[in-house]
Amino acid sequence: MGALLQVESLNVGLRNGAGVVVPVIENLSFEVHSGRTTALVGESGCGKSMTALAIMRLLPEDFVITGGRIVLEGEDILSLSPKRMRALRGNGMSMIFQEPMTALNPLFTVGDQIAEVLRWHQGLSASAAHAQAVEFLRAVQIPALEQRVNAYPHQLSGGMRQRVMIAMALAGRPKLLIADEPTTALDVTVQAQIFDLLAKLQQDTGTAVLLITHDLGAVAELADDVLVLYAGRCIESGASADLVGHPRHPYTRGLLGCVPHLKLGQRMPAVWSDLGEIAGMVPPLGARGADCAFLARCRDASDVCRSRPQPMLEPIETDHAVSCWRKSEIAA
Amino acid sequence: MTTLQTSTPLAIEPLDLPARPAASPARAALRQFLRSPSGVIGLCLLIVLVLGTAVGPILYPVDPLDLVGGPFTPPSADAWLGTDYLGRDVLAGLIYGGRATLTVGAVAALITIAIGLTVGALSGFFGGAVDAILVKLTEFFQILPPLLFAMVLVTLFGQKLTTITLAIGAVSWTSAARLTRAEFMRLRNLDFVKAARTAGAGNAHLILRVLLPNALPPVIVSATLAIGVAILFEGGLSFLGLGDPNVMSWGLMLGQNRNYVLDAWWAVTFPGAAIFLAVLAISLVGDGINDAANPRLRRRT
Ligand SMILES: Nc1ncnc2c1ncn2[C@@H]1O[C@H](COP(=O)(O)OP(=O)(O)O)[C@@H](O)[C@H]1O
Ligand code: SF4
Ligand SMILES: [Mg+2]
Repeated sequence: MGALLQVESLNVGLRNGAGVVVPVIENLSFEVHSGRTTALVGESGCGKSMTALAIMRLLPEDFVITGGRIVLEGEDILSLSPKRMRALRGNGMSMIFQEPMTALNPLFTVGDQIAEVLRWHQGLSASAAHAQAVEFLRAVQIPALEQRVNAYPHQLSGGMRQRVMIAMALAGRPKLLIADEPTTALDVTVQAQIFDLLAKLQQDTGTAVLLITHDLGAVAELADDVLVLYAGRCIESGASADLVGHPRHPYTRGLLGCVPHLKLGQRMPAVWSDLGEIAGMVPPLGARGADCAFLARCRDASDVCRSRPQPMLEPIETDHAVSCWRKSEIAA
Repeated sequence: MTTLQTSTPLAIEPLDLPARPAASPARAALRQFLRSPSGVIGLCLLIVLVLGTAVGPILYPVDPLDLVGGPFTPPSADAWLGTDYLGRDVLAGLIYGGRATLTVGAVAALITIAIGLTVGALSGFFGGAVDAILVKLTEFFQILPPLLFAMVLVTLFGQKLTTITLAIGAVSWTSAARLTRAEFMRLRNLDFVKAARTAGAGNAHLILRVLLPNALPPVIVSATLAIGVAILFEGGLSFLGLGDPNVMSWGLMLGQNRNYVLDAWWAVTFPGAAIFLAVLAISLVGDGINDAANPRLRRRT
């Protein structure tokens, strides 16, 4: 079966004040299949959100796609007209954001906001759309929905709002749902509920999910495939069970070392280096050289690493690729 | 790892609905406005002024342009507020003139806001080249001295009330445009705007339903204040002899009688006081709207 979404050697750059384009994402390639979940993990600033926005073609000003292809169901996203692109958003793909507190329009009821999406994509009348909006709220398991459909966002808790966000994102019946850290802003118990809900909705609808998260426990449980991003470069990818069970890249091993017991809803601390597992910080934009981006923080670094450029992302076994000069030694 | 199976059905969060049904943000703002003393006082004052000009002619049926007695008759039983330099009734002038002045103020403010909102919204929403051009246009209008520019327009196109209204609108929209542009630029990066985009919202929807309503509170405040500015402007133009001589207005009364202020204080003081009260009332209402629109600001004070 062909992939629903194919990202091929995506390069994204940021045009800085001097007009120079500095790389933000380099040579990123991956696929997402219908009904399956691909996870994107990595520290803050690694380029996860920019990857998502590049796929939606909603990068902020000054960010430019400098190379590569993004193909959704055979359509090359990067060459579509703005009009076609608008039609695809919501219907071909949609997205949920990290902050449920700010991701809903404060001036309209949640029912109105979902109904609006239904009207764009399904040409429903106002009353039919409203009735369907209630069904979507039911699908995201919102209790007392007869009252909540007419509530304003500020009257709902964070978890409820995130459910509304999910309903809104699914209202256009997208084939691909991008969830950018959907639970980072929520309480731990609510996080698990939201992950459960996403998994259930995916089962029901067959939607492909690109899950961006800090939560390695969730990755282990929900994702079929994982990509580990470091400083805009994919440094390890593979089937989730294999990668989480046998991480090969020193960075991934450090990340997983930070999670003593993998459990759903377990949250990564915002600053991982606090744990002392991986000292140092992601090199900032513009300060990323040709050599291994992780070099400065790597405990396994040797002369090999210092004398050569960033290693290729090469398969180490079926469905598991690593970008590290010493991958074979580390595996052993 | 079977958490998924075991944990569906989901634990239900406790209900967090308020006891009262949802109040729309507009309704909540109105309630807040009615709690602000300055807003309520201003609104009452404004209602009195508007009612006075609306029903005044019924209670005091005197033509403001008729010569009802000798010039400079002090306030008396015949002419309650006296007569002006031509012998026209001052109270009748206040009543009819108020209609013209308040209408000019309201219409000029509407024009100001309509132009300002359109230019600012397009500029802030699209950014890039559209923004660059519109900002240049705004700056061009901004560096023109407004009173001088309005005088030129009125001199060119005639001393008629419509021309005066349009001229006031044409010279005062720049601050509304800058305000709207700034609000749009702030809002367009917020998550709910991005979320609407990812759900497939078109530009028209984003501008009219997502950004505009959220940008509106400060614009409404500035629109209110624009009415006051327009009234002062009309007064200023008339004072300089550029009013419409065929339509009585407060500004015209001031302008025509200003040379005789020492002989007939009433012919200048009453229209002057009327303008003062109208502008005061509008500023107070603006204050009240500001309080209602920025609840966080209010709580701090
Ligand atoms: N609006 C912006 N302007 C300039 N740089 C930005 C902006 N947003 C993000 N960045 C930079 O782009 C890089 C990638 O960011 P992002 O994709 O948001 O990371 P992540 O989602 O993985 O935390 C980071 O180095 C970040 O500092
Ligand atoms: S290439 Fe070298 S420096 Fe880079 S991760 Fe591998 S061992 Fe560490
Ligand atoms: Mg992010």
